Amino acid sequence: MDRVDLVDANVELLLRLRDITKEYNIGGQEVYALDGVSLDVNVGEFVAIMGPSGSGKSTMMNMIGCLDVPSGGSYEIDGAEVSSLDDDELASIRNKKIGFVFQGFNLIARTTALENVELPLVYGRIKDRRNTAIAALQRVGLGDRIEHTSSELSGGQQQRVAIARAIVTQPRLILADEPTGNISTLQSEEIMQIFQELNDNGVTIVMVTHEEDIARHCKRRVEMRDGKIVSDQPIEDRLVAKDVIEQMKSQAITRKPLALAGT
Amino acid sequence: MGISEYFRLAIRALKSNVMRTALSMLGISIGVAVTILVVAIGQGATKSVADQVNGMGTNLLMVHQGAREMKLTAAGRSTTSTSTTLSSSTTTTSVKATTTPQGTLTLADALMIEKMFPESVQAIAPQVRGGVQVRLGSSNASSNVLGTTPEYLVVNNSTVRLGRFFTAVENAQNMKVCVLGSTLAENLTGNSSANLVGQNISVNRDNYLVVGMLAAKGTGTGGPDPDDVVVIPLSTAMARILAITTISDLSISCVSPIMMPLAQQQVTSLLRQRHHLVPPFPQNDDFVVRNQADLLVRSQSVTKTMTMLLTAVAIISLIVGGIGIMNVMLMSVKERTREIGIRKAIGARAHDILMQFLVEASIISILGGVAGAVLGVVSAILLASFGGWNTIVSPTTLIVSIVVSAGVGIFFGIHPAQKAATMRPIEALRYE
Repeated sequence: MDRVDLVDANVELLLRLRDITKEYNIGGQEVYALDGVSLDVNVGEFVAIMGPSGSGKSTMMNMIGCLDVPSGGSYEIDGAEVSSLDDDELASIRNKKIGFVFQGFNLIARTTALENVELPLVYGRIKDRRNTAIAALQRVGLGDRIEHTSSELSGGQQQRVAIARAIVTQPRLILADEPTGNISTLQSEEIMQIFQELNDNGVTIVMVTHEEDIARHCKRRVEMRDGKIVSDQPIEDRLVAKDVIEQMKSQAITRKPLALAGT
Repeated sequence: MGISEYFRLAIRALKSNVMRTALSMLGISIGVAVTILVVAIGQGATKSVADQVNGMGTNLLMVHQGAREMKLTAAGRSTTSTSTTLSSSTTTTSVKATTTPQGTLTLADALMIEKMFPESVQAIAPQVRGGVQVRLGSSNASSNVLGTTPEYLVVNNSTVRLGRFFTAVENAQNMKVCVLGSTLAENLTGNSSANLVGQNISVNRDNYLVVGMLAAKGTGTGGPDPDDVVVIPLSTAMARILAITTISDLSISCVSPIMMPLAQQQVTSLLRQRHHLVPPFPQNDDFVVRNQADLLVRSQSVTKTMTMLLTAVAIISLIVGGIGIMNVMLMSVKERTREIGIRKAIGARAHDILMQFLVEASIISILGGVAGAVLGVVSAILLASFGGWNTIVSPTTLIVSIVVSAGVGIFFGIHPAQKAATMRPIEALRYE
């Protein structure tokens, strides 16, 4: 197993997983969703976690996101050992250090974009919520949609609201679980563009995806199978979302007359 | 996260499903409305009973003859019968009218009380009662005859609406004059405020001149109608209609409220002495002395029982309303499991979720309580103006019932809110 070891004094360790196990009892049988996973993620990394379904990548995300607790092993986030924290402290870590982006967007229904984005600030007891939330929405290009409810937004727009909600508390880590799973290719690229910009500004991103094209936007690729990490490599031929979008748009323009000619 | 924030969240959640909110409020509304109505009726009844008792006269003592006479022992009876000569020796049974059974209370007793206790007794009105047939022209009515003295007016707090009351002279001369109550006037003429002064009416086929019309006293709550009456001089009633020598009861007006216990005690011991009664008392008494306070207590114990019963009904309906709220909140928690998961993922603590749902339940119950209070007050007013019931809504009732409904909401909201608060974020997020 290859592992990228960046032992460098200038690099700050953000996540430190050691021999993490997670077992479920299904029908009287112990099933290991995670079977001794060790992983280090430094500040500023952009990691894609890949693998077939059942490989344990989602369980891994839930562990990293402090939504679930491991059965064994040690997990430190930003120097804090997660197993020693109580529920309220975990909630506080989720609120301040982590931003979640889910496959199904997970916006709160019948609530405006602005209110969705304000919510982490509400739970974080932060003042001046409105302006902070508007700034986050502007950053994802939705400054003109703040009063729209989720049913009035497209899939890509909803996912951008979710990203705004994830970044509004300026967390060190963004966790994205199949963030492009439910949206079109162009919108996916737009989402990846936002992630790349965030990453360029120093935000660490860990993303679960099964799409090879999406994973190529990241900097590091971790592959899992049967609850174990089977490969961990830097991405050589990295895609830049901005370029891909421009390419797609120019193709669309050149393709249009062709399509017309065909009819 | 401040309380205003929870409030905002709760209002939004409730607005998003108005129908469900309204339905869950309904139970608590009905509970509060019933409570307010019940208490209003209870307090109204208590007040009308008090008014009625006070309307009987001020500082009033009532002496009734022989309520316990039937239970007297043979020995007790024999001592009484030899001594109370007036009552037992000259008695002839009435053939003309229904009379109260012959007792031991006599006019002489009344005169003696008046003579002996001027310091405590202001006026005394002996009374005899019986059922009679009254006729005016062609209309006929069964009514009650009340024979008394002119003191009756003062002692029993009655007023003459038209004409005059009969005089002491008319009483002394067994004159056939009468004063009519409003119910009897209505039964005879169809009009309760009819003027029959100067006309002759027939009481048990004997003609009486109507000299006055009494003002209505009203029935209040239950009991015989005090206005269905023809009042005639005591001596006339005893000699001509009822043919008795004893009297049914005495109404005694005391000088002041402070003198009432003394008067009650004086009258009791005098009557025991005059009737030659022997202990034990009060078992061997052949009369009963009651004051207004006794009457109030007696009638209020009835209203109290009624109020307690209805209050039990009100409490049950509040509990049912609370269970309704719990049911809706449990459904709401289940329905919003995913939302709870999202909130927890972005940093809501268990306490935040608990408060969110608890505030929601409280708002439902407080709004329900206020709606119920309005409903209760409106129906109390309607009941008073159309049903003729006496209802009293006090501010205390309103405040208490709204506070109680808030308490019910919080109590029944705790379980669903805790269920939401203790959900594991990962399971809540996975919930479809």
